[in-house]
Amino acid sequence: MTLQKLILVALRYTTLLLFGAVFLVFGSLSSKFLEPVNVVNILTQSSSTAIVAIGMTFVLLTAGVDLSVGSIMFVAVAVAGKMIFTGYSLGLSICAALCVGFVFGRLNSILIVRFRIMPFIVTLGTLYFGRGFGLWLTETRAMNMPDAVTQLGAARIAGIPIPILIFLSVLAAGHFVLTQTPLGRQIYAVGNDPEAARKAGIRVNRILGVVYVLSGVCAAIGGFVALTQTGAVSPTFGNQKEFSAIAAAVLGGTSLFGGRGTIFPGTVLGAVLIQTVENGLVILNVDPYLYPLVTSAVIFLAVLIDTTRTNLLEKLGRRPIRVEPVR
Amino acid sequence: MVKRLIQSEYLVLLLSAVYFAALAPFTPGFASTGNLANILSSMLPLLVVAMGQTFVLIAGGIDLSVTSTIALASVVGASVATGDQGILSGNSLATPGGILAMLLVGATVGSFNGAAITRFRMPPFIVTLTTMIFVSGFAVWLTQSKSIFNLPTTFTILGSNVWVALPLVAVATLVMHFALSRTLLGHWIYAIGHNKNAAEISGVPVRRVLLFTYIASGLCAAAASILYTGRLESASPVMGRNILLDLIGATVIGGTSLYGGKGKILWTVYGVLFLALIDNSLNLLNLSYFTIMMAKGAVIVMAATIDSVRNKLLNS
Amino acid sequence: MSSSPRILEFDSVEKSFFGVKVLKAVTFDLRTGTAIGLVGENGAGKSTLMNILGGIHTPDAGYIRMEGEPYAPRNPQDAARAGVAFIHQELNLFSNLTIAENIFITTFPRVAGLPMIARKTVRERARSLLDQVGLSVNPNTRVESLSAGERQLVEIAKALSLDARIIIFDEPTSSLTALETDRLFELISTLRARGISMIYISHALSDVMKLCDDIVVLRDGEVVGKSRTAETSTAKLISLMVGRSIDQLYPERTGRPAAERALSVRNLSQPGIVRNIAFDLHDQEILGISGLMGSGRSELARILFGLDPFETGEVLLWGENLPKPSPRQCVRMGMAFLTENRREEGLCMEASIAENMALVSLPNFANRGGYWIDHGRLSKSLTALRGAVRLTRSARLSQAVRTLSGGNQQKVVLAKWLLNRPRVFILDEPTRGIDVGAKYEVYSLINKLASDGAAVLIISSEIEELIGMCDQILVMRNGEIADTIRRPDFDRERILRGALKQSHTTRTSPVETARHDPESR
Repeated sequence: MTLQKLILVALRYTTLLLFGAVFLVFGSLSSKFLEPVNVVNILTQSSSTAIVAIGMTFVLLTAGVDLSVGSIMFVAVAVAGKMIFTGYSLGLSICAALCVGFVFGRLNSILIVRFRIMPFIVTLGTLYFGRGFGLWLTETRAMNMPDAVTQLGAARIAGIPIPILIFLSVLAAGHFVLTQTPLGRQIYAVGNDPEAARKAGIRVNRILGVVYVLSGVCAAIGGFVALTQTGAVSPTFGNQKEFSAIAAAVLGGTSLFGGRGTIFPGTVLGAVLIQTVENGLVILNVDPYLYPLVTSAVIFLAVLIDTTRTNLLEKLGRRPIRVEPVR
Repeated sequence: MVKRLIQSEYLVLLLSAVYFAALAPFTPGFASTGNLANILSSMLPLLVVAMGQTFVLIAGGIDLSVTSTIALASVVGASVATGDQGILSGNSLATPGGILAMLLVGATVGSFNGAAITRFRMPPFIVTLTTMIFVSGFAVWLTQSKSIFNLPTTFTILGSNVWVALPLVAVATLVMHFALSRTLLGHWIYAIGHNKNAAEISGVPVRRVLLFTYIASGLCAAAASILYTGRLESASPVMGRNILLDLIGATVIGGTSLYGGKGKILWTVYGVLFLALIDNSLNLLNLSYFTIMMAKGAVIVMAATIDSVRNKLLNS
Repeated sequence: MSSSPRILEFDSVEKSFFGVKVLKAVTFDLRTGTAIGLVGENGAGKSTLMNILGGIHTPDAGYIRMEGEPYAPRNPQDAARAGVAFIHQELNLFSNLTIAENIFITTFPRVAGLPMIARKTVRERARSLLDQVGLSVNPNTRVESLSAGERQLVEIAKALSLDARIIIFDEPTSSLTALETDRLFELISTLRARGISMIYISHALSDVMKLCDDIVVLRDGEVVGKSRTAETSTAKLISLMVGRSIDQLYPERTGRPAAERALSVRNLSQPGIVRNIAFDLHDQEILGISGLMGSGRSELARILFGLDPFETGEVLLWGENLPKPSPRQCVRMGMAFLTENRREEGLCMEASIAENMALVSLPNFANRGGYWIDHGRLSKSLTALRGAVRLTRSARLSQAVRTLSGGNQQKVVLAKWLLNRPRVFILDEPTRGIDVGAKYEVYSLINKLASDGAAVLIISSEIEELIGMCDQILVMRNGEIADTIRRPDFDRERILRGALKQSHTTRTSPVETARHDPESR
């Protein structure tokens, strides 16, 4: 019994343990890995994915999915980039990027709520639509940003790089909404049982509408943060980012069936873990072609462990009818 | 009348016909024999993957990994068969050896997915998502992101000559259609998609059937890869990367449900036909690559809207 | 009591769907602080009436008055605001949230002017509401770790938080243990004393008789009986409900158990579940298993059918030892298992009647060696079968099972097993949630199975049902067989005693072990 409990506790903190393991392995292989500079690096590099993943968590909690985030990132920075080139101020361009995120999120939510189409199909459609739209905007060419943009990415306030600051603000806001507001708790309720939520008088449609908008806006923010780091809008900007975002959330223990998961520590830990692995591979000079192999293996492992835990819990939790005498 | 039309399962077929008839007069070359052959040849590989996907979807799963399976099968098959330092380079067994290797890749990926889903009860979406990333990464790493050329003509003819591929795909379609609608296995697949627990208690070998659907999907992806590779006359590690929309779109437009329990091979055929027509006509209109992308995204959402309206009518 | 003011009056309420009148001039009233029992077969119009009260439907004619004022809710929120609360058979709680969050999910107290939950207020108010319903659990406990009875108390607390003046209970006891049921009834009396009125809907007539002041009987959308509880009897109610007098609730049993053992269980144990289970089930025998919810009845059935493992002991089917049975093997060897949970484990709700009926025996209709299904032969068998189980005439075989009533759905489950011609039946709660008329038909069917030679094991929470049907009853408690009673010695009290006797579980109460799976969704 105690052994089983020990295993359960270990399985429960899978991501944390994996995290520790990853740090141990990379730390022992390279002294550079554990240096504070590198830790800050990891956080900076993971901020964009983490922000997108935070938005994704809202959607996943309602048992939906948003595949269009990568395209929203692309369109948002394409619009912002064009505006910066035309001479608009940086602030205005950022606002425009956020608006793009809002509009796409709203589009998704209208199609999902009003026309009752499955989120998977809707967002797959907007994924292609957005990618096509962005390519048209950029005329399928890469756009190099002026230095002002990359300087923003490198700047620090009180010693903390701006991308990390943005990341932390989004994290704090998201965590607050989810845990401390009626909206947040109702999101969990809808994810647990939409029919019951409707009967209880929760405005399910409004909540579904909100989560896709949040996801769209987060994608736009994440896109802009990524832009300050890469300094260019390439035709593949944000490509397949939806998968990293889903992976980060799932790695952090968010269920695809809704109602289960957290932004903090869950999703954030997942996003940082993925980045930590890639960072370690970079430091160790591993063939870049191997990165996706390693990260996908890590994600698979984490999901495998989480499923094993769920199965075990189910077995243990199944109506204990009698207590056997201790042998 | 309108209601009956919308509820008909031939709606998509009809829409395709209407679309064709409406566009033919205005689009030069749309109805030409050459173009029809073109439509057909672009349909066939998509149809083959989509049929495998239909099996998986009806059983209540999803297989996102097929796009990467196509890529990996392509480069593995080509590295066996190619004239440039291939494993069976110049050997008369190059073509069969290459094809066998490709099917083996499909079966392996499918078995892995199926095993993870049935043995460890992992969610299909995540399992096939991670295998998608892994397999795609593996294909890129194997080739260091380079394409493989110089394939034997006996190999490429399967994909490049539509009259060779057509009868083969037609036979496969018939086999899969009857397998799903007339056999024990087919009935079991539907039952599992409807209610896995009830199926298990009713004596259905749930795990084996589910495993089968994923292996079938993997094999179909590999078979599609043969056609794609033949058409391009080269193998590429990013092949199939952009077909996820077409694939899911075609099955869903046809009427197969992502919730499981509902779908037909024939519906998938109609869905693929519809998408191929749209793709082809947009190409003929000389629209740019990204306009086509936008248009297709919109068409799929529209089709899904029609389907949702149709379901509402059917249920009322 | 009858002198208390009327809180709710139904006056000639009518409602039609698609031209079919489902409510005809329904008139009755509810007095403040009393409980009215609403009984009737499925389809009698009870749910429609309650949906009108809850604001889901609007009546075509007639009206409802609440305390003399016209009452016409346009949606469930309207009804809630007016003080009408529903406690449904399937509870409306979110298992991933805490008790307090469930209570206040749409009415969170907020920190002044901000969209922020005032956690402290929530906790304190939840605490006081839980005190009122007598649930001493921390309000921050997640609902998934509560038992069915505790969850129901949370629902009632939620109704109280909305200042409900009328509470409608719809089959509230169907998933409760005996002790939980008693506690619920006590609570209902306290609430009535506080002036809250109740409408109590149930098929369990004994509960209705025990609890209610007045009883209203609905049949085919009409009120066919209205009386004080003291002036009526179960037999009268039943004859009113079905529209004819039923001399017996249970059909005459013909035939006796044979000597051949069909299913034998020897010293079967699985740690934490069952211990030392041993019995013989003979051909033509109907054997009952009684026991409280969570006594291991259903778990034993799952083990026998190979759905769950067992550690020691033997299961023999016609003398053949099955060391590791699987459902598939059991089906092949001629066993049938009707689960307690029709929707989740019995039926494919979206699939057609025909598909459901065929599911078990499909291999019998496949050609030899190959896997081709002979659809002609299959549909002939299905047509014969629908008659045998007396499926309603109006149903088409191509129709989705979802559209059928509970009783007809159960007949489809029975039909699906019958087609395989099994010789051993395990029936877990075969009549749960189906109306009196359909119950009788299911009982006749079971009797016929036994007299035709099959061995039948019935698991049921209704002791009357077991006494009416069985040749022998095993009483389970705490995962063990506590008592074995032969037909001549059948005695309601002895069965209850066996099921209830104090046991040595370490849990707070022996009957509260019926916990829901924490991860089930």
